[in-house]
Amino acid sequence: MDDMPSQTGPVPPDGDARILIVDDQPSSRTLIGSLLKAEGYGRLAYAEDGVAAMDWLAGNAADMVILDIRMPRMDGFEVCRAVRGQLGQDMPILVQTGIQEADCRVEAFQAGASDIVSKPINAGELVSRVRLHLERRRMIDRLQRYQDRMEDELRAAQSMQLDLLPGAEDIDAIVRPRGASLTAFYRASHMLGGDLWQVFPVDESRFGVFMVDLSGHGVSAAINAFRVNMITAGLSAERSDPAQWLAALNRKLVSILPVEHFATAFYAVIDPGAGRLQYAAAGAPPPLVLRGGGEWETLTGGGLILGCLADAAYETHAIELSPSDRLFAYSDALCEDFEHPDRSPDTGTIAAAVQAEAGGGEAFADRLIARLFGRADTDFRDDLTFLLVGMTPS
Amino acid sequence: MEYRSEFAGDPLVVDIEGVLTFDDHERFRELATAIADAGAATVVLDLSGLTMIDSAGIGMLIMTNDRAAKRGKTLRLRGLKGQVAKVVELSRIEQLIPID
Repeated sequence: MDDMPSQTGPVPPDGDARILIVDDQPSSRTLIGSLLKAEGYGRLAYAEDGVAAMDWLAGNAADMVILDIRMPRMDGFEVCRAVRGQLGQDMPILVQTGIQEADCRVEAFQAGASDIVSKPINAGELVSRVRLHLERRRMIDRLQRYQDRMEDELRAAQSMQLDLLPGAEDIDAIVRPRGASLTAFYRASHMLGGDLWQVFPVDESRFGVFMVDLSGHGVSAAINAFRVNMITAGLSAERSDPAQWLAALNRKLVSILPVEHFATAFYAVIDPGAGRLQYAAAGAPPPLVLRGGGEWETLTGGGLILGCLADAAYETHAIELSPSDRLFAYSDALCEDFEHPDRSPDTGTIAAAVQAEAGGGEAFADRLIARLFGRADTDFRDDLTFLLVGMTPS
Repeated sequence: MEYRSEFAGDPLVVDIEGVLTFDDHERFRELATAIADAGAATVVLDLSGLTMIDSAGIGMLIMTNDRAAKRGKTLRLRGLKGQVAKVVELSRIEQLIPID
């Protein structure tokens, strides 16, 4: 498209449509032009062969091309291919063919013609097809503009959502002074997602790690993730008590989530110095504790998913950790492959993969995904988040 | 997802088969309406033919239960296995919907 005027302006109403008529016979050009003029098409241009047509298109924007096949220098098929190659698929090209030229019709469509008008020209047919293809082009154009706008808006919302997540410096400032390390991975399946995670100080020795997965994907799940982010900002009194934290969040979510929406969540208070982790869970996949010696266990004991029952109770559990241990928390996208249920990794497989990759330094997330699914850029049908917390500073 | 039921008797039994995900939500809403409008006081969803469920599927079970309860009915689940049993267990929805 480099040497062509861009076709980005909206397709004008019929009377303002710019139509290029290409025919080597002056009488044909005049006939088509006068038929279109009589119907109100006033912005007509003419070319006497393919070379002249391409020259004109190089300097002018058109909304439609009406094209003869048999022409000297450059025939109609070549013009079709050149226009498709340089101006894309949207430009309507009407090719004129004689009744006896049946083979030409197939070849014209193969070369990229939008439609055929038969020769000798029938006024009614010509005008109907011109009208139809301009309307079709306008519809495609409208859809394209709508889609572009939606994509721009989604991109803006996506960057807002990514801003909710703690950045590497924030993470480090919280966990390093308390004697731990934390690596996080987040990817939404539809630009926007319903996963959210947070890390914040509880006191001088402890920090809290919170992970939540709102049911559904896309815009509605993302709006709910923003709501959760606002709610948890107000839960400072509950920070040291995982069960209270989830119970308080649950009560708020019951009042705002529609009946079939809910959230799964995991909240942990970690004290690396004392080697202690307290946690509560609500329907989230049980996180793994990977021991320095190679063994692993799951953090069992969860409560009801959030947002369904106002007086649901949650329980705080505790586990001892040594400096060589790690915590791995993840959203269910990691273990639920709906396209290939038999390839969904089980807990043991995930634990072994995390153990194998956790000590490897940079790019842990890519290496883990590649080890579990074969490729680091694997597509997931659900939002994916995982966190790896080490009990010594990295 | 496919469902089958005579929509007769009490308890009313509905067999649910296949994979229950967000893509089924329109069909499941139909089913929830049929259940809410049925005459039976107890409705059993037999999930023994269901192989996978996602979070939207869990949401649809909760929504169906909610609509049934508003019409004075009790919803129950039975026949859970594999991934469905695991996800339902993890969600603790037996606190909302009894499981046989």
